[in-house]
Amino acid sequence: MKILNEPIKVMVIFHPNKGLESGKIEPVKFRLEDQVVRIQKIQKIYEENIIGNKRIVFVCQHNGKDIYELKYETDSKTWYLFKK
Amino acid sequence: MIVMHIDVNSAFLSWTAAYEQQQGIDRDIRKVASVIGGNEQNRHGIVLARSILAKKFKIQTGMSLMEARRQCPNLLVVPPDYQVYVRASKTLREYLYKFTPDVEVFSIDECFLRFTDLNKEEALSLACKIKEDVKNIFGYTINIGISKNKLLAKMAGNFEKPDKCHTCFPEEIKEKLWPLPVEDLFMVGRKTKVKLNRWGIYTIGDLAKTDPNLLFKSIGVYGHMIYAYANGIDGSIFKASPPIKSVGNSSTLKFDVIDTEIAHAIILSLVEMTAWRLREAEMMCKVVSVGIKDKDFNYISRQKKLPYFTDCTKDIYKNICALFDKNWDSRPIRQLGVSVSGLEFAKFQQLSMLKDKNLLKNEKLDKVIDSIREKYGDTAVIRGIFANSELSPILGGYPDDEYPGMSSIL
Repeated sequence: MKILNEPIKVMVIFHPNKGLESGKIEPVKFRLEDQVVRIQKIQKIYEENIIGNKRIVFVCQHNGKDIYELKYETDSKTWYLFKK
Repeated sequence: MIVMHIDVNSAFLSWTAAYEQQQGIDRDIRKVASVIGGNEQNRHGIVLARSILAKKFKIQTGMSLMEARRQCPNLLVVPPDYQVYVRASKTLREYLYKFTPDVEVFSIDECFLRFTDLNKEEALSLACKIKEDVKNIFGYTINIGISKNKLLAKMAGNFEKPDKCHTCFPEEIKEKLWPLPVEDLFMVGRKTKVKLNRWGIYTIGDLAKTDPNLLFKSIGVYGHMIYAYANGIDGSIFKASPPIKSVGNSSTLKFDVIDTEIAHAIILSLVEMTAWRLREAEMMCKVVSVGIKDKDFNYISRQKKLPYFTDCTKDIYKNICALFDKNWDSRPIRQLGVSVSGLEFAKFQQLSMLKDKNLLKNEKLDKVIDSIREKYGDTAVIRGIFANSELSPILGGYPDDEYPGMSSIL
């Protein structure tokens, strides 16, 4: 299944600016076509800034093998799903 | 002193391409024959930027899309997205401020940097680092020209594209600048090229060795200027600070306008945008101007100096209308533009007896309208004359004067 840049509904924890997980953004689950997908493991978090459009990228692992990306666009405050 | 010239390689096209990739659109318009072009139905149909492959089909920037399609039938035409461009330009500029406070914006995709503490080798390695960083972080390529003044830096930036750093220091002029054809020199256009060629001047070197008095006699002060440029001499100063010199909007109209009333309405819709941007920048203006292009592409622009500073929509509108009425020769209008300049920060202002007595009220009204539009959208409040009319209440979007597309002043 190839999904690119699909805007999605995501449930997220925004950690407060103190303690161990200070300021961390932690996506928990998202909805895709009436199906709720729980985020199992976040492998890597990085920022992309293509032509100044900032997005925080969460590289996630599903069922131990599938890789997909969730991207949070800061300007539009929108979440996107990328899966190749 | 070291001056660098930063130039985004086919800016609109690279920015659109990078944006499309980020959006997950599965194509790279940089790799095919493509152009960025406006909306043909609204008569904005010219080539704004072209890919390298499109260049091979001899497609020129500024050519009409119809002509471009004739040169290359499979041409891919992608509409421009100015919001993306303005953001890209702004973030590039913010990034460049990390290296020096002296950044001069020359146009939406070009700027100059000045360094006073670098030698030539350091400058070259810094330029290469900037070029690579921009590619990696922002996803597009730039050219950097390095020299002692703005003119030579700009010339160096144009040597070979894309994704390159070049130097052109005064001692390198003979070898790098002089062999180039004379039309490659900054400020030498198509018309001057023909004249110079007629006098046997084909390269920049030829021009540099010509008698400047001869040039002066035939083409005036301009002759002195291009002679100096050909010799790598540029006396312009580095204008780092004022971020904006003028604010303006213009639009090619959907139909030719022959009626004063409609023309005034269009001017009002343009002023709405311009005055809002002026207030947004917290500035006031002293000079207003209007530009009229008729259906035969004859263009005139006239300006007027006001005896006071203003940022009031109604005030600017009234003055521009007066200017328009005085200068319009009733020929059908294809394009209208308004702009304001002579800017000053609005924080402190000299009270004037010459201002309209309703001005204070109007200024307050502007503020209220601005905040309503900010909260509920641009068309939440519109002027009465635009109700039930075909005309758009606010016209113009691309801040074209904030980034002069083609400036002759270095």
